[in-house]
Amino acid sequence: MGGELKYEIAQNAYIKLVLHALKHKTAAVNAVLLGRLVTSTEGSHTLQISDAVPLFHSQITLLPPLEIALIQIEEYYGAQDMGIVGYFHANERFDDAELSSVAKNIGDHIYRYFPQAAVILLDNKKLESLPKGKDRSPVMQLYTKDASKNWRLAGSDGSSQLTIKEPSANVVLLDYIASEKWQDIIDFDDHLDDISKDWLNPELFK
Amino acid sequence: MVTKTEETELNRLEIQVDNGGGGAWEYLCLVRKLKVRRSDKVLKHGLSILNDPKKRSNLGPEEWTLYEQVAVAAMDCQCLDVAKDYIKVLQKRFPESKRVGRLEGMLLESKGSWAEAEKAYSSLLEENPFDQVVLKRRVAMAKAQGNMSGAIEWLNKYLETFMADHDAWRELAEIYVSLQMYKQAAYCYEELILSQPTLPLYHLAYAEVLYTLGGLENLQTAKKYYASTIDLTGGKNTRALFGICLCTSAIGQLTKGRNKEEKESPELHSLAATALEKIYKQRAPTKLPLLNSALKGLKI
Repeated sequence: MGGELKYEIAQNAYIKLVLHALKHKTAAVNAVLLGRLVTSTEGSHTLQISDAVPLFHSQITLLPPLEIALIQIEEYYGAQDMGIVGYFHANERFDDAELSSVAKNIGDHIYRYFPQAAVILLDNKKLESLPKGKDRSPVMQLYTKDASKNWRLAGSDGSSQLTIKEPSANVVLLDYIASEKWQDIIDFDDHLDDISKDWLNPELFK
Repeated sequence: MVTKTEETELNRLEIQVDNGGGGAWEYLCLVRKLKVRRSDKVLKHGLSILNDPKKRSNLGPEEWTLYEQVAVAAMDCQCLDVAKDYIKVLQKRFPESKRVGRLEGMLLESKGSWAEAEKAYSSLLEENPFDQVVLKRRVAMAKAQGNMSGAIEWLNKYLETFMADHDAWRELAEIYVSLQMYKQAAYCYEELILSQPTLPLYHLAYAEVLYTLGGLENLQTAKKYYASTIDLTGGKNTRALFGICLCTSAIGQLTKGRNKEEKESPELHSLAATALEKIYKQRAPTKLPLLNSALKGLKI
Protein backbone atom coordinates (compact mmCIF):
# COMPACT_ATOMS: atom_id res chain seq x y z
CA MET A 1 0.00 0.00 0.00
CA GLY A 2 1.57 3.25 -1.07
CA GLY A 3 1.53 6.43 0.97
CA GLU A 4 0.63 7.23 4.56
CA LEU A 5 -2.58 5.77 5.98
CA LYS A 6 -4.79 8.56 7.23
CA TYR A 7 -7.27 8.14 10.07
CA GLU A 8 -10.48 10.13 10.06
CA ILE A 9 -13.41 9.98 12.43
CA ALA A 10 -16.90 11.29 11.70
CA GLN A 11 -18.41 13.84 14.05
CA ASN A 12 -21.30 11.63 15.16
CA ALA A 13 -19.00 8.75 16.05
CA TYR A 14 -16.63 11.11 17.86
CA ILE A 15 -19.37 12.75 19.90
CA LYS A 16 -20.98 9.40 20.82
CA LEU A 17 -17.67 8.18 22.23
CA VAL A 18 -17.07 11.24 24.39
CA LEU A 19 -20.66 11.45 25.62
CA HIS A 20 -20.54 7.79 26.63
CA ALA A 21 -17.38 8.39 28.65
CA LEU A 22 -18.98 11.43 30.30
CA LYS A 23 -22.10 9.50 31.24
CA HIS A 24 -20.00 7.07 33.25
CA LYS A 25 -17.36 9.33 34.77
CA THR A 26 -16.36 6.92 37.49
CA ALA A 27 -15.88 3.85 35.32
CA ALA A 28 -13.80 2.64 32.44
CA VAL A 29 -15.87 2.48 29.23
CA ASN A 30 -15.30 1.09 25.77
CA ALA A 31 -16.79 1.09 22.30
CA VAL A 32 -16.29 -0.39 18.83
CA LEU A 33 -15.51 1.73 15.82
CA LEU A 34 -17.26 1.04 12.54
CA GLY A 35 -16.20 2.15 9.12
CA ARG A 36 -14.22 1.22 6.05
CA LEU A 37 -10.97 1.72 4.27
CA VAL A 38 -11.28 4.24 1.44
CA THR A 39 -8.85 4.80 -1.43
CA SER A 40 -8.96 8.15 -3.16
CA THR A 41 -8.42 8.68 -6.88
CA GLU A 42 -4.87 9.93 -6.15
CA GLY A 43 -4.09 6.67 -4.41
CA SER A 44 -4.13 7.86 -0.81
CA HIS A 45 -5.74 5.65 1.78
CA THR A 46 -7.97 6.74 4.62
CA LEU A 47 -9.48 4.68 7.40
CA GLN A 48 -12.89 6.30 7.74
CA ILE A 49 -14.49 5.76 11.11
CA SER A 50 -18.13 6.58 10.34
CA ASP A 51 -19.89 5.31 13.43
CA ALA A 52 -19.33 3.94 16.91
CA VAL A 53 -21.30 1.68 19.21
CA PRO A 54 -20.73 2.31 22.93
CA LEU A 55 -20.31 -1.06 24.61
CA PHE A 56 -19.90 -1.33 28.36
CA HIS A 57 -19.36 0.61 31.55
CA SER A 58 -19.03 -2.24 34.05
CA GLN A 59 -16.79 -5.32 34.18
CA ILE A 60 -15.64 -4.53 30.69
CA THR A 61 -13.14 -7.37 30.47
CA LEU A 62 -15.73 -10.16 30.56
CA LEU A 63 -16.18 -12.10 27.34
CA PRO A 64 -19.85 -13.15 27.10
CA PRO A 65 -21.36 -9.66 26.72
CA LEU A 66 -18.54 -8.65 24.37
CA GLU A 67 -19.12 -11.66 22.13
CA ILE A 68 -22.86 -11.06 21.97
CA ALA A 69 -22.29 -7.41 21.16
CA LEU A 70 -19.75 -8.05 18.41
CA ILE A 71 -21.94 -10.69 16.71
CA GLN A 72 -24.89 -8.34 16.50
CA ILE A 73 -22.85 -5.25 15.60
CA GLU A 74 -21.00 -7.02 12.80
CA GLU A 75 -24.28 -8.34 11.43
CA TYR A 76 -25.95 -4.93 11.42
CA TYR A 77 -23.10 -2.91 9.95
CA GLY A 78 -22.04 -5.65 7.55
CA ALA A 79 -25.32 -5.12 5.75
CA GLN A 80 -24.28 -1.49 5.28
CA ASP A 81 -20.89 -2.40 3.91
CA MET A 82 -19.10 -1.30 7.07
CA GLY A 83 -16.94 -3.40 9.34
CA ILE A 84 -15.38 -3.21 12.77
CA VAL A 85 -12.29 -1.10 12.19
CA GLY A 86 -11.19 -0.27 15.68
CA TYR A 87 -11.74 -0.04 19.41
CA PHE A 88 -12.19 2.85 21.80
CA HIS A 89 -11.28 2.85 25.47
CA ALA A 90 -11.54 5.38 28.27
CA ASN A 91 -9.70 4.70 31.51
CA GLU A 92 -11.32 4.78 34.92
CA ARG A 93 -8.94 7.34 36.42
CA PHE A 94 -8.32 10.86 35.20
CA ASP A 95 -4.54 10.71 35.34
CA ASP A 96 -4.22 7.27 33.80
CA ALA A 97 -3.02 7.86 30.24
CA GLU A 98 -1.78 4.36 29.58
CA LEU A 99 -3.23 1.97 27.06
CA SER A 100 -4.37 -0.92 29.27
CA SER A 101 -3.77 -4.58 28.44
CA VAL A 102 -7.52 -5.03 28.05
CA ALA A 103 -7.53 -2.43 25.28
CA LYS A 104 -4.50 -4.05 23.65
CA ASN A 105 -6.12 -7.51 23.81
CA ILE A 106 -9.32 -6.39 22.17
CA GLY A 107 -7.30 -4.36 19.69
CA ASP A 108 -5.29 -7.47 18.84
CA HIS A 109 -8.47 -9.42 18.27
CA ILE A 110 -9.80 -6.80 15.84
CA TYR A 111 -6.39 -6.51 14.17
CA ARG A 112 -6.54 -10.22 13.31
CA TYR A 113 -9.50 -9.57 11.03
CA PHE A 114 -8.60 -6.02 9.99
CA PRO A 115 -4.91 -5.17 9.84
CA GLN A 116 -5.42 -1.41 9.65
CA ALA A 117 -7.28 -1.45 12.97
CA ALA A 118 -7.13 1.65 15.13
CA VAL A 119 -7.21 1.74 18.92
CA ILE A 120 -8.29 5.05 20.40
CA LEU A 121 -7.81 6.15 24.00
CA LEU A 122 -9.71 9.06 25.51
CA ASP A 123 -7.36 11.89 26.45
CA ASN A 124 -8.76 13.06 29.77
CA LYS A 125 -6.53 16.08 30.12
CA LYS A 126 -7.39 17.30 26.63
CA LEU A 127 -11.08 16.79 27.33
CA GLU A 128 -10.79 18.82 30.52
CA SER A 129 -9.18 21.77 28.75
CA LEU A 130 -11.54 21.65 25.79
CA PRO A 131 -13.80 24.51 26.92
CA LYS A 132 -10.80 26.76 27.41
CA GLY A 133 -9.31 26.65 23.94
CA LYS A 134 -10.26 26.53 20.29
CA ASP A 135 -8.62 23.20 19.59
CA ARG A 136 -10.05 21.39 16.60
CA SER A 137 -8.19 18.17 17.12
CA PRO A 138 -9.97 15.25 18.79
CA VAL A 139 -9.63 14.74 22.55
CA MET A 140 -8.27 11.30 21.84
CA GLN A 141 -5.05 9.47 21.28
CA LEU A 142 -4.67 7.13 18.33
CA TYR A 143 -2.71 3.89 18.55
CA THR A 144 -1.80 1.73 15.58
CA LYS A 145 0.25 -1.43 15.14
CA ASP A 146 3.84 -0.71 14.23
CA ALA A 147 6.23 -2.93 12.32
CA SER A 148 7.09 -4.93 15.44
CA LYS A 149 3.38 -5.56 16.09
CA ASN A 150 3.19 -3.29 19.13
CA TRP A 151 0.51 -0.69 19.67
CA ARG A 152 2.29 2.60 19.05
CA LEU A 153 1.02 6.11 19.74
CA ALA A 154 0.34 7.88 16.44
CA GLY A 155 2.50 10.83 15.62
CA SER A 156 5.41 9.64 17.74
CA ASP A 157 7.15 8.09 14.73
CA GLY A 158 5.88 10.46 12.08
CA SER A 159 2.70 8.50 11.40
CA SER A 160 -0.45 10.49 10.89
CA GLN A 161 -2.72 11.68 13.65
CA LEU A 162 -6.45 11.19 13.99
CA THR A 163 -8.52 13.95 12.43
CA ILE A 164 -12.20 14.70 12.71
CA LYS A 165 -14.07 14.87 9.41
CA GLU A 166 -16.14 17.92 10.38
CA PRO A 167 -13.92 20.80 11.55
CA SER A 168 -16.41 22.23 14.03
CA ALA A 169 -17.00 18.96 15.86
CA ASN A 170 -15.55 20.21 19.14
CA VAL A 171 -17.91 23.19 19.12
CA VAL A 172 -20.87 20.85 18.71
CA LEU A 173 -19.46 18.57 21.41
CA LEU A 174 -19.14 21.41 23.90
CA ASP A 175 -22.72 22.36 23.17
CA TYR A 176 -23.92 18.84 23.91
CA ILE A 177 -21.85 18.71 27.09
CA ALA A 178 -23.42 21.94 28.28
CA SER A 179 -26.89 20.53 27.71
CA GLU A 180 -25.95 17.26 29.49
CA LYS A 181 -26.73 15.28 26.34
CA TRP A 182 -24.75 12.35 27.73
CA GLN A 183 -27.82 11.29 29.67
CA ASP A 184 -29.45 10.14 26.45
CA ILE A 185 -26.71 7.82 25.27
CA ILE A 186 -27.37 4.06 25.37
CA ASP A 187 -24.65 1.43 25.42
CA PHE A 188 -24.76 -2.34 25.07
CA ASP A 189 -24.75 -2.75 28.87
CA ASP A 190 -27.93 -0.67 29.04
CA HIS A 191 -29.44 -2.79 26.27
CA LEU A 192 -28.67 -6.05 28.06
CA ASP A 193 -30.26 -4.66 31.23
CA ASP A 194 -33.34 -3.51 29.31
CA ILE A 195 -33.55 -4.66 25.71
CA SER A 196 -36.03 -1.97 24.78
CA LYS A 197 -33.05 0.43 24.92
CA ASP A 198 -31.46 0.68 21.48
CA TRP A 199 -27.65 0.54 21.28
CA LEU A 200 -27.81 2.13 17.84
CA ASN A 201 -28.87 5.41 19.48
CA PRO A 202 -31.07 6.32 16.51
CA GLU A 203 -32.65 9.34 18.21
CA LEU A 204 -29.50 10.78 19.70
CA PHE A 205 -28.71 13.39 17.06
CA LYS A 206 -32.24 14.18 15.95
CA MET B 1 -27.28 -3.39 45.86
CA VAL B 2 -30.34 -1.80 44.39
CA THR B 3 -33.41 -3.60 43.07
CA LYS B 4 -35.17 -2.53 39.90
CA THR B 5 -38.16 -1.25 41.91
CA GLU B 6 -35.90 0.80 44.13
CA GLU B 7 -34.06 2.24 41.14
CA THR B 8 -37.32 3.17 39.41
CA GLU B 9 -38.56 4.93 42.54
CA LEU B 10 -35.26 6.77 42.92
CA ASN B 11 -35.28 7.94 39.31
CA ARG B 12 -38.89 9.03 39.61
CA LEU B 13 -38.06 11.13 42.67
CA GLU B 14 -34.98 12.52 40.98
CA ILE B 15 -36.94 13.70 37.95
CA GLN B 16 -39.58 15.18 40.24
CA VAL B 17 -37.08 17.17 42.26
CA ASP B 18 -35.12 18.20 39.16
CA ASN B 19 -38.28 19.68 37.67
CA GLY B 20 -39.14 21.67 40.79
CA GLY B 21 -41.81 19.29 42.04
CA GLY B 22 -40.43 19.12 45.57
CA GLY B 23 -39.44 16.02 47.52
CA ALA B 24 -35.75 16.90 47.83
CA TRP B 25 -35.48 15.60 51.38
CA GLU B 26 -37.16 12.26 50.46
CA TYR B 27 -34.79 11.95 47.51
CA LEU B 28 -31.72 12.63 49.63
CA CYS B 29 -32.86 10.13 52.27
CA LEU B 30 -33.42 7.46 49.62
CA VAL B 31 -29.97 8.08 48.12
CA ARG B 32 -28.50 7.66 51.59
CA LYS B 33 -30.48 4.50 52.27
CA LEU B 34 -29.62 2.84 48.95
CA LYS B 35 -26.00 4.04 49.11
CA VAL B 36 -25.96 5.08 45.48
CA ARG B 37 -23.51 7.54 44.01
CA ARG B 38 -25.40 10.53 42.59
CA SER B 39 -23.14 13.23 43.86
CA ASP B 40 -24.03 16.01 41.42
CA LYS B 41 -27.74 15.73 42.28
CA VAL B 42 -27.08 15.36 46.01
CA LEU B 43 -24.90 18.45 45.92
CA LYS B 44 -27.44 20.50 43.99
CA HIS B 45 -30.48 19.58 46.04
CA GLY B 46 -28.67 19.36 49.36
CA LEU B 47 -27.32 22.86 48.91
CA SER B 48 -30.79 24.19 48.15
CA ILE B 49 -31.98 22.91 51.52
CA LEU B 50 -28.94 23.87 53.57
CA ASN B 51 -28.68 27.36 52.14
CA ASP B 52 -32.27 28.10 53.12
CA PRO B 53 -32.42 28.79 56.90
CA LYS B 54 -36.11 27.92 57.12
CA LYS B 55 -35.74 24.58 55.32
CA ARG B 56 -32.66 23.87 57.43
CA SER B 57 -34.40 24.40 60.75
CA ASN B 58 -37.26 22.16 59.59
CA LEU B 59 -34.81 19.27 59.51
CA GLY B 60 -34.13 19.39 63.22
CA PRO B 61 -31.29 17.06 64.28
CA GLU B 62 -31.23 15.50 60.78
CA GLU B 63 -29.51 18.71 59.67
CA TRP B 64 -26.11 17.28 60.63
CA THR B 65 -26.66 14.09 58.62
CA LEU B 66 -27.40 16.25 55.61
CA TYR B 67 -24.23 18.31 56.14
CA GLU B 68 -22.25 15.08 56.13
CA GLN B 69 -23.98 13.73 53.03
CA VAL B 70 -23.53 16.95 51.07
CA ALA B 71 -19.91 17.33 52.20
CA VAL B 72 -19.11 13.91 50.73
CA ALA B 73 -21.02 14.71 47.53
CA ALA B 74 -19.17 18.01 47.27
CA MET B 75 -15.84 16.21 47.51
CA ASP B 76 -16.93 13.80 44.78
CA CYS B 77 -17.76 16.77 42.56
CA GLN B 78 -14.49 18.54 43.45
CA CYS B 79 -16.31 21.45 45.12
CA LEU B 80 -13.78 21.49 47.92
CA ASP B 81 -14.77 24.88 49.35
CA VAL B 82 -18.29 23.68 50.03
CA ALA B 83 -16.92 20.50 51.57
CA LYS B 84 -14.48 22.42 53.76
CA ASP B 85 -17.20 24.77 55.00
CA TYR B 86 -19.58 21.99 55.89
CA ILE B 87 -16.87 19.97 57.63
CA LYS B 88 -16.06 23.05 59.70
CA VAL B 89 -19.72 23.33 60.68
CA LEU B 90 -19.70 19.69 61.77
CA GLN B 91 -16.40 20.13 63.64
CA LYS B 92 -17.90 22.99 65.61
CA ARG B 93 -20.98 20.97 66.51
CA PHE B 94 -19.16 17.69 67.20
CA PRO B 95 -15.63 18.48 68.37
CA GLU B 96 -13.35 15.43 68.81
CA SER B 97 -15.72 13.32 66.71
CA LYS B 98 -14.20 10.33 64.88
CA ARG B 99 -16.95 10.53 62.30
CA VAL B 100 -15.93 14.10 61.46
CA GLY B 101 -12.30 12.97 61.58
CA ARG B 102 -13.05 10.60 58.71
CA LEU B 103 -14.47 13.48 56.70
CA GLU B 104 -11.29 15.45 57.31
CA GLY B 105 -9.32 12.51 55.97
CA MET B 106 -11.54 12.34 52.92
CA LEU B 107 -11.01 16.05 52.29
CA LEU B 108 -7.26 15.47 52.26
CA GLU B 109 -7.84 12.63 49.81
CA SER B 110 -9.88 14.81 47.49
CA LYS B 111 -7.09 17.37 47.47
CA GLY B 112 -4.67 14.65 46.45
CA SER B 113 -2.69 14.97 49.71
CA TRP B 114 -2.28 11.23 49.97
CA ALA B 115 0.43 11.18 52.61
CA GLU B 116 -1.48 13.48 54.95
CA ALA B 117 -4.67 11.53 54.44
CA GLU B 118 -2.80 8.32 55.26
CA LYS B 119 -1.50 9.95 58.45
CA ALA B 120 -5.00 11.05 59.45
CA TYR B 121 -6.41 7.59 58.85
CA SER B 122 -3.55 5.89 60.69
CA SER B 123 -4.18 7.96 63.79
CA LEU B 124 -7.91 7.19 63.62
CA LEU B 125 -7.04 3.50 63.33
CA GLU B 126 -4.76 3.70 66.35
CA GLU B 127 -7.75 4.56 68.47
CA ASN B 128 -10.03 2.06 66.75
CA PRO B 129 -8.24 -0.53 64.59
CA PHE B 130 -11.59 -1.98 63.48
CA ASP B 131 -13.02 1.18 61.95
CA GLN B 132 -14.46 -0.32 58.77
CA VAL B 133 -14.99 2.98 57.01
CA VAL B 134 -11.39 4.07 57.48
CA LEU B 135 -10.04 0.66 56.49
CA LYS B 136 -12.04 0.92 53.29
CA ARG B 137 -10.82 4.47 52.66
CA ARG B 138 -7.31 3.04 52.61
CA VAL B 139 -8.32 0.67 49.84
CA ALA B 140 -10.01 3.51 47.98
CA MET B 141 -6.88 5.66 48.26
CA ALA B 142 -4.71 2.92 46.83
CA LYS B 143 -7.15 2.48 43.97
CA ALA B 144 -7.31 6.22 43.32
CA GLN B 145 -3.56 6.36 42.97
CA GLY B 146 -3.57 3.47 40.56
CA ASN B 147 -1.91 1.19 43.08
CA MET B 148 -4.04 -1.86 42.30
CA SER B 149 -1.79 -4.38 44.03
CA GLY B 150 -1.91 -2.23 47.15
CA ALA B 151 -5.68 -2.00 46.94
CA ILE B 152 -5.90 -5.78 46.59
CA GLU B 153 -3.58 -6.30 49.56
CA TRP B 154 -5.52 -3.94 51.85
CA LEU B 155 -8.85 -5.34 50.73
CA ASN B 156 -7.78 -8.93 51.34
CA LYS B 157 -6.56 -7.94 54.80
CA TYR B 158 -9.88 -6.23 55.47
CA LEU B 159 -11.78 -9.35 54.42
CA GLU B 160 -9.76 -11.53 56.80
CA THR B 161 -11.44 -9.63 59.62
CA PHE B 162 -14.75 -8.72 58.03
CA MET B 163 -15.44 -11.79 55.91
CA ALA B 164 -19.18 -11.18 55.93
CA ASP B 165 -18.89 -7.83 54.13
CA HIS B 166 -20.48 -8.70 50.79
CA ASP B 167 -19.82 -5.30 49.25
CA ALA B 168 -16.13 -5.75 49.95
CA TRP B 169 -16.09 -9.18 48.28
CA ARG B 170 -17.84 -7.67 45.26
CA GLU B 171 -15.37 -4.81 45.11
CA LEU B 172 -12.48 -7.24 45.25
CA ALA B 173 -14.04 -9.39 42.52
CA GLU B 174 -14.50 -6.36 40.30
CA ILE B 175 -10.91 -5.24 40.84
CA TYR B 176 -9.69 -8.71 39.89
CA VAL B 177 -11.89 -8.70 36.77
CA SER B 178 -10.55 -5.30 35.73
CA LEU B 179 -7.04 -6.71 35.99
CA GLN B 180 -8.07 -9.85 34.10
CA MET B 181 -7.27 -12.02 37.17
CA TYR B 182 -10.30 -14.21 36.55
CA LYS B 183 -9.38 -17.15 38.79
CA GLN B 184 -9.18 -14.85 41.79
CA ALA B 185 -12.42 -13.14 40.80
CA ALA B 186 -14.10 -16.55 40.58
CA TYR B 187 -13.00 -17.29 44.15
CA CYS B 188 -14.68 -14.09 45.37
CA TYR B 189 -17.93 -14.94 43.61
CA GLU B 190 -17.80 -18.45 45.10
CA GLU B 191 -17.63 -16.87 48.57
CA LEU B 192 -20.58 -14.65 47.74
CA ILE B 193 -22.67 -17.51 46.39
CA LEU B 194 -21.91 -19.56 49.51
CA SER B 195 -23.11 -16.78 51.80
CA GLN B 196 -26.07 -15.63 49.70
CA PRO B 197 -27.05 -18.54 47.46
CA THR B 198 -30.33 -17.05 46.31
CA LEU B 199 -28.98 -13.82 44.83
CA PRO B 200 -28.97 -14.27 41.04
CA LEU B 201 -26.44 -11.46 40.54
CA TYR B 202 -23.65 -13.60 41.99
CA HIS B 203 -24.59 -16.67 39.93
CA LEU B 204 -24.55 -14.54 36.79
CA ALA B 205 -21.25 -12.84 37.57
CA TYR B 206 -19.66 -16.21 38.42
CA ALA B 207 -20.89 -17.70 35.12
CA GLU B 208 -19.48 -14.77 33.13
CA VAL B 209 -16.09 -15.06 34.80
CA LEU B 210 -15.96 -18.84 34.23
CA TYR B 211 -16.86 -18.40 30.56
CA THR B 212 -14.10 -15.83 30.23
CA LEU B 213 -11.61 -18.23 31.84
CA GLY B 214 -12.57 -20.82 29.24
CA GLY B 215 -11.82 -24.51 29.03
CA LEU B 216 -14.38 -27.29 28.89
CA GLU B 217 -14.93 -27.71 32.63
CA ASN B 218 -15.35 -23.98 33.24
CA LEU B 219 -17.76 -23.68 30.32
CA GLN B 220 -19.86 -26.56 31.65
CA THR B 221 -19.95 -25.00 35.12
CA ALA B 222 -20.73 -21.59 33.63
CA LYS B 223 -23.69 -23.13 31.83
CA LYS B 224 -24.97 -24.50 35.16
CA TYR B 225 -24.75 -21.08 36.78
CA TYR B 226 -26.41 -19.33 33.85
CA ALA B 227 -29.18 -21.90 34.29
CA SER B 228 -29.48 -21.19 38.00
CA THR B 229 -29.62 -17.47 37.24
CA ILE B 230 -32.51 -18.10 34.87
CA ASP B 231 -34.16 -20.18 37.57
CA LEU B 232 -33.74 -17.46 40.20
CA THR B 233 -34.97 -14.68 37.90
CA GLY B 234 -37.97 -16.48 36.46
CA GLY B 235 -36.40 -16.64 33.01
CA LYS B 236 -36.27 -12.87 32.63
CA ASN B 237 -32.53 -12.29 32.64
CA THR B 238 -31.38 -11.60 29.07
CA ARG B 239 -27.67 -11.97 29.91
CA ALA B 240 -28.20 -15.45 31.33
CA LEU B 241 -30.27 -16.55 28.32
CA PHE B 242 -27.53 -15.38 25.98
CA GLY B 243 -25.01 -17.07 28.25
CA ILE B 244 -26.65 -20.46 27.78
CA CYS B 245 -26.46 -20.09 24.00
CA LEU B 246 -22.82 -18.98 24.12
CA CYS B 247 -21.84 -21.83 26.44
CA THR B 248 -23.60 -24.49 24.39
CA SER B 249 -21.94 -23.22 21.25
CA ALA B 250 -18.48 -23.05 22.82
CA ILE B 251 -18.83 -26.49 24.45
CA GLY B 252 -20.01 -27.87 21.11
CA GLN B 253 -16.88 -26.52 19.44
CA LEU B 254 -14.63 -28.08 22.06
CA THR B 255 -16.33 -31.49 22.03
CA LYS B 256 -16.53 -31.79 18.24
CA GLY B 257 -15.77 -35.33 17.18
CA ARG B 258 -16.04 -36.75 20.67
CA ASN B 259 -18.31 -39.59 21.80
CA LYS B 260 -22.00 -38.99 21.72
CA GLU B 261 -22.29 -39.53 25.50
CA GLU B 262 -20.09 -36.54 26.16
CA LYS B 263 -22.16 -34.26 23.99
CA GLU B 264 -24.61 -31.89 25.60
CA SER B 265 -28.33 -32.16 25.00
CA PRO B 266 -29.55 -29.23 22.95
CA GLU B 267 -32.79 -28.70 24.89
CA LEU B 268 -31.54 -26.00 27.20
CA HIS B 269 -30.08 -24.09 24.25
CA SER B 270 -33.32 -24.18 22.26
CA LEU B 271 -35.35 -23.23 25.32
CA ALA B 272 -33.10 -20.23 25.90
CA ALA B 273 -33.20 -19.25 22.23
CA THR B 274 -36.98 -19.43 22.19
CA ALA B 275 -37.20 -17.35 25.35
CA LEU B 276 -34.89 -14.72 23.82
CA GLU B 277 -36.96 -14.56 20.65
CA LYS B 278 -40.11 -14.07 22.69
CA ILE B 279 -38.55 -11.28 24.76
CA TYR B 280 -37.14 -9.49 21.73
CA LYS B 281 -40.40 -9.79 19.81
CA GLN B 282 -42.16 -8.16 22.73
CA ARG B 283 -39.75 -5.41 23.71
CA ALA B 284 -37.24 -4.87 20.88
CA PRO B 285 -38.89 -6.01 17.65
CA THR B 286 -36.55 -3.98 15.46
CA LYS B 287 -33.66 -6.04 16.77
CA LEU B 288 -35.35 -9.40 16.17
CA PRO B 289 -33.69 -10.13 12.80
CA LEU B 290 -30.27 -9.40 14.32
CA LEU B 291 -31.05 -11.68 17.25
CA ASN B 292 -32.13 -14.47 14.92
CA SER B 293 -28.97 -14.39 12.85
CA ALA B 294 -26.86 -14.21 16.03
CA LEU B 295 -28.63 -17.29 17.40
CA LYS B 296 -28.26 -19.06 14.07
CA GLY B 297 -24.51 -18.49 14.26
CA LEU B 298 -24.43 -19.97 17.75
CA LYS B 299 -26.30 -23.15 16.83
CA ILE B 300 -24.14 -26.21 17.30
